[in-house]
Parts: sequence; C-alpha cells; structure tokens
Amino acid sequence: MKDFIIKRMLLLFPVVFGVLTFVFLLIHLIPGDPVDLMLGENARAIDKEKLRESLRLDEPLAVQYMLFIKGAIKGDLGESLYNKKPVIHLILKRYPETIKLTIAAMVLALLISLPIGIYSAVKQYSFMDNCSMFFALLGVSMPNFWLGPLLMILFCVNLGWFPISGDEGLRSIVLPAITLGTAMSAILSRMVRSSMLEVINEEYIVTARAKGLSELRVIFRHALKNALVPVITVVGLQFGALLAGAIITETIFSWPGIGRLLIQAINTRDYPLVQGCVLAISISYVLINLITDIAYSYIDPRIKLR
Amino acid sequence: MACIKESRPTGNTIVIGLESSPTNLDPRYATDANSYRLAQLLYNTLIELDSRFHPVPNIIKRFANPNDTTYVFHLKEGIQFHDGKELTSKDVKYTFDCILNPAFKSPHFGAFEKIDSIVILDKYTVKFILKEPFAPFLINLAVIGIVPKDDMQKSEDSFNITPVGTGPFKLAEFLHDERIVLNANADYFDGRPKLERIIFKIIPDSTVRLLELNQGNVHLLQNDIPPDLFPFLEKKDSLKIVKRPGTTYSYIGFNLKDAILKDKRVREAIAYAIDRKAIIRYILKGLATPASGILSPYNWAYEENVNVFEYNKEKARNLLDQAGLIDTDGNGPQMRFELTFKTSTDQLRKRIAEIIQQQLKEVGIKISIKSYEWGTFYSDIKSGNFQLYTLSWVGITDPDVLYYIFHSSSIPPQGANRGRYINKRVNMLIEEGRITLDMNRRKNIYSEIQKILALDIPYVSLWYSTNVAVMNKSIHGYVVYPAGDFFSLKDVWIEND
Repeated sequence: MKDFIIKRMLLLFPVVFGVLTFVFLLIHLIPGDPVDLMLGENARAIDKEKLRESLRLDEPLAVQYMLFIKGAIKGDLGESLYNKKPVIHLILKRYPETIKLTIAAMVLALLISLPIGIYSAVKQYSFMDNCSMFFALLGVSMPNFWLGPLLMILFCVNLGWFPISGDEGLRSIVLPAITLGTAMSAILSRMVRSSMLEVINEEYIVTARAKGLSELRVIFRHALKNALVPVITVVGLQFGALLAGAIITETIFSWPGIGRLLIQAINTRDYPLVQGCVLAISISYVLINLITDIAYSYIDPRIKLR
Repeated sequence: MACIKESRPTGNTIVIGLESSPTNLDPRYATDANSYRLAQLLYNTLIELDSRFHPVPNIIKRFANPNDTTYVFHLKEGIQFHDGKELTSKDVKYTFDCILNPAFKSPHFGAFEKIDSIVILDKYTVKFILKEPFAPFLINLAVIGIVPKDDMQKSEDSFNITPVGTGPFKLAEFLHDERIVLNANADYFDGRPKLERIIFKIIPDSTVRLLELNQGNVHLLQNDIPPDLFPFLEKKDSLKIVKRPGTTYSYIGFNLKDAILKDKRVREAIAYAIDRKAIIRYILKGLATPASGILSPYNWAYEENVNVFEYNKEKARNLLDQAGLIDTDGNGPQMRFELTFKTSTDQLRKRIAEIIQQQLKEVGIKISIKSYEWGTFYSDIKSGNFQLYTLSWVGITDPDVLYYIFHSSSIPPQGANRGRYINKRVNMLIEEGRITLDMNRRKNIYSEIQKILALDIPYVSLWYSTNVAVMNKSIHGYVVYPAGDFFSLKDVWIEND
C-alpha cells in the first residue's frame, strides 16, 4: 500500500507538468491580450507597452514558459496580473471555500442517494421505487442556473430562512449545497439502485438469506458493501469535478470559490492566475483519484493496489 | 408561509451592490471603472469636473495658467490625510513623480508624459511645467488622487491594501470579490459625511443583485440592471428609481477598408435602415437617448447641428441602388449582399444585434451575427478583423479622445481608430484642438470635427445609455452623475422613522 501511494504521488509530477504545459500553451494561443483587457479601451499605446513590459509579456513565449516553470518548481506561481497579489495567496484563500461547498454538496447527495438507492433496489418496481426514480430523473434534469434562483426565491425571498448571497456562515452554504447536490444525488441514487440490484441477485446473497440472516444484515453487510465499488468511482469523479469549481452555482450565490476566480482569470487573460488555478485543480484531481483507489481496497479486499 | 419584511438601511450604513470587485484602489494604478469610482471616495484630486466636464478646483483654492505650458496650483490649507498628516505640495509632486517614474510602470504615464517638471514653490503651491501646450492636461488631473509621500515611501507594498487618502471615506476592509467597507472620515475638509459607513457588496449575478435589493439587504444599485426588470422595480413601494441621461455612447463601427463598406452610400444606407427609437423603446425600455456623435450633450464641446440619420427604409434602399447593390428580386429572399456583425456574448447586445439584423434585412442586407467572449472579440476588432461591430465608449470627458479614435496615427495598436478612418482635415483639426487652450476656439474646432464625422460616418451613432439608480426610499441626496460616479455618497443621508 505504501509503495502504491508513493508511486502514485510520484506520478503527480509528470501529470502536473503536462497539465501546466498544456494550459500555458492553450491560454496563450487563444486570442485576447491581458493588457488590453486590463487598461480598457481608452488606454494609450505607450501605457500598454509599458505595462506589457512590466509584466514581461513582451518576452518570447518560450522565455515566459521557462520563467513560469522555474517559478512553479520553487513554489512561486507569480502574481495575478490584475490585482498584483501572489497567485498562491489568492488560491489558498478561495480554494477552501470551494472545498467547503463541495463537501457540503457531497454529504447532502450521499445522505439522500444512499437510502433512496437502497430502498428502490430492495423494493424494485414498487410505488416508492417509481417515485424515487422519477425524482431522480427530475433532479438530474434541473440545471443549476434554474434551480439556484428558484431555491433562492422560495427560501430567501419568500421564507427568509437563508441569506441570498455571499459567505456569511453556515446558513449561507445550505442553498448552494442543495443546488449542487441535487443533480449529484439523482445520479448517485440511480447508481446505487442499479448496483444494488446487480448484487442482490448474486448467489452469495441467496446464501446469506438461506443462513437465516436478518434482511437488514443481508442488505447492509453483504449487499451494500459490494455494491459500493462502482458508486465510489462515481463519487470520486463527481467530487473531483466539483473541486474544479462549480462556476454557475458560485456565480449565482456570489460564493467566493475557485470556479469564479478561474472564470474571471480566463475572461481577463490573467495568465498566472489561470495557470495557478488549473494547477491546484489538477493536483486535487490526482489526489481524489488516489483516495478513490485506496477506498476500493478497503471496501473490497480482492482489489489489490500495486 | 411567512413573508420576510423588507429592511431599510439602519445605523447610517448603506449597502451598495456592485457587479465586480475593484481591482486596485491606488489611484496611480487604478484602471477599471469600479476602482476609479471607489478611489473618488478615498482620495481628492487637484481638479474635478463640473456637470459639463469643465475643470474646476477640488483641493486647490485656485490655479493659474501664466503661459501655455505652465500651471500653478494653490492648495487649500489644513487638508488632512486619513492618518492625520497634512496634505502639502510635496505630496502632489510625489504623486505625479511616481506616475512619471518609469520604474513605477503606472498605466497613467501616457496621460502625463507632456509634463516636463514639477516644482514646489512653497508648502501649498506647486507648479507644473509642460514640454508643449496640451489642452487636456487639466481634465487628466481629475482622475489622479493625491497620495501621501511619507506613507508611500515607507510601505509601497502594503499601500494597495490600506490606502490612505484625504477623501470623505476611509477604507476599513477590502475583501476582494466579496465586499469593501468604507468608514466616514470625521475630519474631512469639506464637512463630515452624513453616512457612517458604506458597504460595497460584490454580487456578480444581476438577478441576485435585484433580489438582494428587493429584500433590503442591498440599499442601492446603479446601472447593470436588466431593462426587462424595470416594470417590476417600478411597482415596488419601498424603492425609488432615479434616472439621468448618461455619457456612455453605443455605436456600430465600420471597417472602412472593406470593399463594400468603403462606399459612403452603403454606410449611409445602413444608418438610415436602423430604427434606433424602436430599439430604445422596446428593448432598452426607454433607458437611452438617440445619439448624434461620441460627445454627449453634457459635454461642453458637444455640437448639436450635425447630420443625423432618421429611420427611413426608402432612402436606405435608394442609396444602395445608387451604389450599384441592386436587390434583384425586390422583396424576395435574395439579398443585395451579406455582412458580418461582431458583438460580445452579452445577452442584451446579442438581442440588439438580432433586431438590427432584422431591420437591415428589410432593405436587402443580410447580416450574419458572430458573438465572441470579450477577449476574442476585442482582439478581432483591434486587428481590423471585422466588417461591422458594436461597442460603447465609456467615460468620455475631454474631446481630445477624438485623437485616439479618429486620427490616422491612432490605427491599432497605437490607438482605437479600428475602422481605419483617414481624413486629413480631421487630422489637422484634432491636432489643433489638443494645443489650443482658448475654450471658445477649441469648441469651434471640435464642432467642425463632429460635423465632418457625421457626414463621413465611420460610426453609426446609436444611443447614450441612461444612468439609473434604484434605491431604498429612505435614502436621500444621492445624485446620479452622467459618468456613473459615486461622488454624491458623501452627501447622502438616511431618513429614519
């Protein structure tokens, strides 16, 4: 296990290096000049030139790339072109907000999807099964840009239970977490259901029942544990995707997460900040995948980590 | 179901919703609109602009202009920075020295490069000597707040976080992309502000900003309000709406190098074929006034008697016929020619582009709309990769901006003459305008330029956007300025029950 973790951690370096190179080239290839976007339309050519020079954007691309990689190796991701703050500080300030929101959404999704998925599988084709699968379909079909404002109007405007926007403590996270978690819980409950259905028809479940085990024990001890492997894959993937920033939800609820930071950085061609955000996201992705792999081996000892 | 009560501003604090965060509150570096507007509350400038954009004294008692290249400013005495130190001529010199120092890389260098030297005559008198006469000099001074020399030299790095100015408000908190809190400066030289505190809350989504206003969590919003939501706002008893025509000028730009558009008759035809009044009425809900040129009626240099193109489809068709671009099948599906119309991804702009597409179709011009995200769009128009595009000019104050937009030496990357417009007479007049200090002569020069531009039509003038502020009814004294400035917040007061 230890070897596996070390090996995977070492793999992080080529992955991150590849991602950084790709993002560097991509962001520099798309049209748009950060200096134009920073100084606005009325700026004089001389001011643009001076700014370009001061930001070292006048250097050849290869030199800019080397400077960036050299800095990144030393842990220096540079300064944001826009607000002159170190990229690492901006990311460290905004990433915990995204992690907080992701965890809240994921916990909510699991709390909803596991019981629904299990119940639907056990009571297949029952009224409740049909109802829950209908709601799962509904949940996955509702886009965030529609659900978010709808929840906001009901719970903030009409009922006044939660603040509308910003991060003002625990109450602020509820609606963005529901907005994000709804689609995820819908996907997961369908996943849990189908995975459970596959497992409960296996012979070892019949054996467990024949042994006279209680239904609860059969479901939770024998069926669920085996049904969870594919579910964990989806949870890991979804978690990783959410860590890349839930741009729409963060914008609707003025949530100060990394998704908003990244989209602003792209719109303003803030190269160091885009690169920094992508670096943080790619590291998280690799780590989440690693954790997912480790989780497999705990749940199913037959899976060996090499 | 309990309905939450709308709250009013309390404790002399008002909350203002902003679409985006200011990026830099240091006046030597600030470039975006929100940074400018907030810096106006934190700093004072030597000169401010009156309602017609004439330069008038701010922290100076008076100024003298003994010759075309010398300006002497007499500072008011007893003006204190937020840290209690007095503002003197050395702070003024320091501020502009920084901007002119290449090591500072200030984005305002270009505006002040005509300064030859700055001389301190005494504690309250400072002299600026220019290399050559430059008429926009005074107006350019109106955007640079004076920073304290001693503090700056001690802590260059931290200045951006805790700016010290002489303005009516002091910075208490700046959380990028979340909120900016300003507290009243009790020692403000022009009288203590009536408000205790202003909180600028960053809310990127326009619908959410309105919901926050509706709930009373935000007390004032200015502009960036979707026109479609005005009927809803007008019905709210707790809110009042203040409108004032603004200076933001929307236009359609032509590429004059284009084989079709270089023919003036085609440009005229397009100008006649666009029904601006209908767009203003139905899409913009009346929140704009038809424009005749870049300079708005608020500007002292505005010329009223210029050629205007009232909506006239027949005239448009005749002009196109004269240009040899015949509509072979009359009202049939065949078009005379096709043009590409570039715009940003902004929803309102896209809708307007669709209306224009429909209106031009009626005279036989097929328009293909291409909308791009801002960076790509801007890059395309700068490089001349367009036939038609639509954009706005924001914050036009001095008519010298025409140099930047229409002088033949201002073709990108040097300036913003993106349509590649060249007229020798206009070049000459623009050059004359920037070195003529006599206001009457200057006005005549710019009048002639505006008349020529209206005949040459490098742009189709669309409209000047109306500035709109929506606020809680208990807020009094808020003035909507043509350029959307926040100056009046120092005089705003809240009526408590």
